[in-house]
Amino acid sequence: MKQFIKSKQLKITLIVLVIIAGIVMIAVKGFNFDLKYQDTQKVELYLQTQFNISDIKQITNEVFGNQKVMIQKVEVFEDSVSITTNTISDEQKNNLITKINEKYGTKITAEDTKIENVAHTRGRDIVKPYILPFAIATLITLVYLGIRYHKLKASKVVLKSIGLMLLTQIILFSVIAITRIPIGRLTIPMVILVYLLTLFGIANKYEKNLQERNIEEKKNKKN
Amino acid sequence: MRRIKILTIILLIILVTMVSFFGVYVHVQNRMENKVKEYALDMDLKGARHVKLVANTESKEVIKDANGNEVETEEEMTDEQLAEKGYTKESVLNNSQDSLTLENYEKSKHIIEERLKSQGVEEYEISLNDKNGEILVQIPENGATDNLVSNMNTVGKFEIIDAETKEVLMTNQDIKLAKVMYGADTSSSSNGTVVYLNIEFNKEGKEKLKNISNTYKEGEVIPVNTTNTTDNTTSENTTNTSTDGNTTNETSTPETKQKEVTMKIDGEEMMTTSFDEVIENGILQLSMGSATTDSDALQEYINSASTIASVLDSGNLPIQYDIEKNEYILSDVTNTQIEYIALAVGIILLIGLLVLMIRYKLNGVLSAIGFIGIVSIYLLVIRYTNVSVSIQGIVGIVVTIILNYIFVNKMLWKIKHSEDYKKLENVKQGIKESYKEFFLRIIPICISIIVLCFANWSTISSFGMVMFWGIVLIALYNYLITSTMLKAKAEK
Repeated sequence: MKQFIKSKQLKITLIVLVIIAGIVMIAVKGFNFDLKYQDTQKVELYLQTQFNISDIKQITNEVFGNQKVMIQKVEVFEDSVSITTNTISDEQKNNLITKINEKYGTKITAEDTKIENVAHTRGRDIVKPYILPFAIATLITLVYLGIRYHKLKASKVVLKSIGLMLLTQIILFSVIAITRIPIGRLTIPMVILVYLLTLFGIANKYEKNLQERNIEEKKNKKN
Repeated sequence: MRRIKILTIILLIILVTMVSFFGVYVHVQNRMENKVKEYALDMDLKGARHVKLVANTESKEVIKDANGNEVETEEEMTDEQLAEKGYTKESVLNNSQDSLTLENYEKSKHIIEERLKSQGVEEYEISLNDKNGEILVQIPENGATDNLVSNMNTVGKFEIIDAETKEVLMTNQDIKLAKVMYGADTSSSSNGTVVYLNIEFNKEGKEKLKNISNTYKEGEVIPVNTTNTTDNTTSENTTNTSTDGNTTNETSTPETKQKEVTMKIDGEEMMTTSFDEVIENGILQLSMGSATTDSDALQEYINSASTIASVLDSGNLPIQYDIEKNEYILSDVTNTQIEYIALAVGIILLIGLLVLMIRYKLNGVLSAIGFIGIVSIYLLVIRYTNVSVSIQGIVGIVVTIILNYIFVNKMLWKIKHSEDYKKLENVKQGIKESYKEFFLRIIPICISIIVLCFANWSTISSFGMVMFWGIVLIALYNYLITSTMLKAKAEK
C-alpha cells in the first residue's frame, strides 16, 4: 500500500514537473513552429529537367547551413523547384543560383529570381476545422460514458473523463514544448493519437471498476 | 480436413498479400500495368494548387458629373463632348489607399474562405500577409480547381439596376442567401431538368423586390422615341428622307417599351428581364440555361450557378485582388519518406508478430499469418472504398494495426489461460470473451470515429474513414479467419 501511494505520488510529481517545465518553456521560448507555419521566404527556380530532391538538399545544406529548408517540386513536369526557408539573403540567393547552374547547366540569373515573402498560416486557422467535429465526438462519448458507467456515478465519470482528456493533451503539449518538437503537420495526428489512447484508457479503467463493483454486489447479495 | 481448412486459409492470405503488396500486372500495349487501384492521396501528401492573390494597384478612368458623381456611360466620349456636358475624366485607383486596411484584408480572407467552403472545398490552407494584404491559398488539385481559382478574386458586386435609367435598385446589402436548386421542367414536354439560382433577400430586400417586381411587371411600359428603317416604304405622319432607295422614317408619335431591370455581377450584365408577377416572398428564382436531360450540360449549369451563388452568398470583396501566381506545388512529403515510414511500421509489426509466435507457439504463428492477411485486406479496402489518405489517415492505419494487435493478443491470452486451451469449447469461450471485452472498451473510440467520418474537413474524415474500415475489418476478419484457424487447430 505504501509502495502504491509512493508510486502514485511519484507519477503526480512527474506530471506536475513536466507541465511546469512545459509552461516555462512556452513562456520563455514559445513553441517551435515548423517552417510551414512560419513567416518564410521562397525562391522558385526553373531547372528545365527533372531532379532529385536529395541533390537539391545537398546544395541547400551548403548554402543555408543550419537553416530549416523545405524543398518542393513545382507543376506536373516537376522541372521547377521551390525552396522555402526562414530568410534568404541576396548572398545566399546568388550562391544558390551559382550552385544550381553548375549542377544542372542552367543559366538562371539572380536578377530574374525573385525572393518571395510567404506569410505564416495562423495556428487558429490550422486548429479551427478540428474543433467542432472533436467537440461533438467528445460530447457524445461523454454521454455514452455517463450512461454506461452510471453505477460508478455518472457525474463523477464524466468530470474525471474530461479532466483526463485535458490532462493528457496538456502533457502532450508540454512534452512538445520541452523537446522542441516542431508544431507542424504531425502535431494534429499526435493530438488525435493521444485523444484515442485516452478514450481507450478511460473505457478500460471504468470497465474494470464496473466489473469489480458487479462482483462485489454479487458477493453482497450472496451474503 | 482441419489441416486442409487451415492450409486453404493460409493460401488465400498469401494470395491477398501478393495482390495487395505487389499488385496484379496485365500486359497493356507493350508494357505491364498494375490493375490494382492506386491510393487516393490527400493534399498534404499529394500536393496543392498554390494561388497568390495580391491587391490590385492599377487605376481606372472614371467620368464624373459637375457634382462629382460617377457617370455610367457605355459610349466613348471625346474631351469636347465631356466638356460640353460638364463632365470630367479622372484617374482613380481600383483600390483606394483608404480601403487598404488590415480590417479589409481580414474581411477579404474571410470572404475567400467562405467561398471555398460554400463550393464544398474540404481542405484548404489560407494565409494573410498583414502588411500588404497578400493572400496565399492552397487548395486540392482536381477537376474543380480551375473554377475555384477563377472565382476566388471575383469582387462579387451584385446590382439590380433599371435597364433604362441605370438607377441602382438593389445591392449585396439586400441579399440574405443564395443557393442552387434544380427541378423538373414543367413548362414544356421536354422532361428535362432546369437549374435555378435561388436568391433569397433579407427583410429590406424583400420589400424592395416587391416594389421592383410591381414596377417592372410585364406590360408596364415607358414611352420612347424610336427610329425605324424600312425598305422602300412610306407611311402617314412621317418625314421621309430618301437615300439609295431606302427610306428612313422618323416617327413623331411616342412609342412604348417594356420596363426592365438588369442584373449585374461585378459590372457584368447577367440578364435583363421584367417580372411576370409581383414577388412577395422575397425570393428571386433565376433559371440557368435551358431545361436539359444531358448530364454534362446539367453539371455545367450547376457549376456556374454554384459559382454565382457562392459569390453572392459570401458578400463582395472590399478590395480588388489579382491572381499573381497560380501553380501546382507537390507535397514536401516525398514518396521515399512515406516508404521509410511504411518500412519502420513493417519492422515494428514483424517484431510484434515474432513476440506473438514465441509467446503463444502455434496459435501465435496462425494469428501472425492471419495478421498479415488483415493488413493486406485493409490496404485493399482503403484503396477500393475511395478513402483519401492523409497524414492523419496514415496515423489511422497505424492505430488500427495497434488495436488489432491488442485484440489478437487478448484473444490468444484468453485461450492460453483457459483450463485446457486445446479444447474447442475453451477456444470458443476465449474468443467470445475477448470480443466482448475488447469491443466494450473501444466503444468510445468507435463513437468518435463515426462522428469524424462525417466531418466536413477531408483530413479528419480521412482519419475517420480509415479507422472505421479498420475496426469493421478487425471485427469481421478475426471472426471469419483468425478464429476459424484457431478453432480448426483446437479441433485437431
